[in-house]
Amino acid sequence: MTQYFIRRLLLIVPTFIGITILVFVITRFVPGGPIERMIAEAQQASMQSGGMTQSSGNGIGAATLDQDQIKQLEEYYGFDKPVLVSYWDWLVKVVHFDLGVSTRYSDPVWDTIKERLPISAFYGILTMLITYFISIPLGYMKAVRHNSHFDHVSSIVVFIGYAIPSYVVGIILLVVFASNLEWFPMGGFYGDEFEDMDSKLEQVADVFYHAALPLLAYVAGSFAVMTFMMKNSLMDNLAADYVRTAIAKGIPFKKAITRHAMRNSLIPIATHFGNNISVIIGGSFLIEKIFNIDGLGLLGYESIVERDYPIVLGVLVISAILQLFGNILSDICVAAVDPRVQFR
Amino acid sequence: MSEVLLKVKHLATEFDTEQGIARALDDISFEVKAGETLGIVGESGCGKSVTSLSIMRLLPKPAGNIVNGEVNFKGQDLVNLPADDMHNIRGNRIAMIFQEPMTALNPVYRISRQLNETLALHNPGMSKDDIQQASIDMLKRVGIPAPERRMKEYPHQLSGGMRQRVMIAIALLCNPEILIADEPTTALDVTIQAQILKLLKDLQKETGMSIIFITHDLGVIAEVCDRVLVMYGGRIIEQADIFTLFDKPSHPYTRGLLNAIPRLEKPAKETLSTIPGMVPSLFDFPPGCRFQNRCEYVQTRCEQETPDLEMHGNDTHQVRCFRFKELVNL
Ligand SMILES: Nc1ncnc2c1ncn2[C@@H]1O[C@H](COP(=O)(O)OP(=O)(O)O)[C@@H](O)[C@H]1O
Ligand code: SF4
Ligand SMILES: [Mg+2]
Repeated sequence: MTQYFIRRLLLIVPTFIGITILVFVITRFVPGGPIERMIAEAQQASMQSGGMTQSSGNGIGAATLDQDQIKQLEEYYGFDKPVLVSYWDWLVKVVHFDLGVSTRYSDPVWDTIKERLPISAFYGILTMLITYFISIPLGYMKAVRHNSHFDHVSSIVVFIGYAIPSYVVGIILLVVFASNLEWFPMGGFYGDEFEDMDSKLEQVADVFYHAALPLLAYVAGSFAVMTFMMKNSLMDNLAADYVRTAIAKGIPFKKAITRHAMRNSLIPIATHFGNNISVIIGGSFLIEKIFNIDGLGLLGYESIVERDYPIVLGVLVISAILQLFGNILSDICVAAVDPRVQFR
Repeated sequence: MSEVLLKVKHLATEFDTEQGIARALDDISFEVKAGETLGIVGESGCGKSVTSLSIMRLLPKPAGNIVNGEVNFKGQDLVNLPADDMHNIRGNRIAMIFQEPMTALNPVYRISRQLNETLALHNPGMSKDDIQQASIDMLKRVGIPAPERRMKEYPHQLSGGMRQRVMIAIALLCNPEILIADEPTTALDVTIQAQILKLLKDLQKETGMSIIFITHDLGVIAEVCDRVLVMYGGRIIEQADIFTLFDKPSHPYTRGLLNAIPRLEKPAKETLSTIPGMVPSLFDFPPGCRFQNRCEYVQTRCEQETPDLEMHGNDTHQVRCFRFKELVNL
């Protein structure tokens, strides 16, 4: 077991290098970078031959950036140095959490991300917990009562959850429960009076009061797949030979499920866990936008719209690292439920 | 005459499938006496496994159902026994081992847990230490070296033969009166197969249990069984003690099966005779004798009426064929 984890942890290094190379390649597309220069040159060439005049010298992407900001980007990404040198320099900066400076806010990128990450993580982790809390028991009941009324009716609900995109669920929830019924706030991570609240308890309650609708929207988007996964996995295991062995030993059917089939059917769920965590912590910019939550998803989206390249790439780096850790976490989970894994 | 433990009477089992109802067992009747080994033999698909699963009430639900008959175990009819009483019988008084040792154990639990669980279930008063010790002793008895170490291992760390030994250990933990072995050696290679057969015979001598031994291999039957049922298309078509069966096979199907085994004493020039034709699917059996489409002695009567299982000579030999008496001399 320990050996497996050591091997797994050592794998982080090459994976990390792979990820950073990928992101680094993308940085070459930033305004002032080599790719854009090439495009600009090509454009100029074609325009000259067409006999047209062009005023902008810096290409399309840089339209909103001034000369100083371009200089800053050039310096941070090292466009003037050889590729390997600039990759190394950049990598060293990334490892030290120096992700450059936002062209929009003029704040260090890492500071901005650091502010947003916990908000997205709060929603992400809660969504995941609630999703598992619903999907595992629901999938279990659907499998045990396969083809019953309960199974059919719940399938309809699950399918609706699957068919409607979560941002649509978000908008419906917002219109019905916030706008019309006014049971819940319109958005935000917490209310205006948050700072003035006397007790921690009140503050926590306020956060959850604001979180209810977005959480519902998130869960609606994720529980369908999980529920079907759990059901199918358990169905497969119910038909497995070892369950028949368990019953032949004298174990009642229900106990054979909980004691024997359950753990085996959690293996695919555990495999999925890592993907979930990184996707979910990243946050959905649509839901964050609808509910006006200042999370990572919204930050990334706005930065793309505003062409705030350091932030976009910073979010990319952080997401990739989250994915990396998500995968490791996932492997640990799988190894915890499946003893065969360490021998693969 | 030893005591009769299990009396199966007119047992019929059906599967509810998409193509309709399939009668997998029809009018199955036989007895198992204390201490004997009863073989059940027949081609794949003839209903051997369904017979054992019906006795244990392990048929896949909701598709498989016993629709007629009785499984009388020492005076109790298992077919109608309440579920709780059935739990006390399974693994405790009637135990079972299966064909696929690779998948029959739970991959995520240690061997120890899979053994101890059975003992704890049927012996609620037993202490943890006693259970652990009894499990280790049992592993020793089924010939597993270093049982203490094996207890801590997972099924994937054991070979097929070792896993089948573990299955046997689990089955025998509670000293069952009957062990049902459904093709326990089919998935194993020949040397391992011989070891497992010897082990089962030795353990039977020690414990005095009865064994229902299911196989498609008449060679294996000859090695371990006292009495044999031959099945075809969900029916018993011949039943005899082992010597009678090999000496005077009376049903055309049994004769075909025996001819299909290569024999040392027969001249090598004889080509391996096999039974021509195919077993129809459960939905395509014609009325009358189910063997008719492959039988070289078929007559009009065979296509209209179903032959009964009739006594032949001594009272342990029974045959289901209209013409077996004429065939004796052929
Ligand atoms: N779960 C099932 N559903 C439908 N038919 C089945 C099922 N299990 C077995 N059968 C049918 O019952 C017959 C007997 O099968 P089985 O007892 O497994 O044969 P074998 O003698 O090889 O052990 C076969 O024709 C098979 O198609
Ligand atoms: S009853 Fe007729 S068809 Fe059936 S085995 Fe006997 S002779 Fe053949
Ligand atoms: Mg079988």
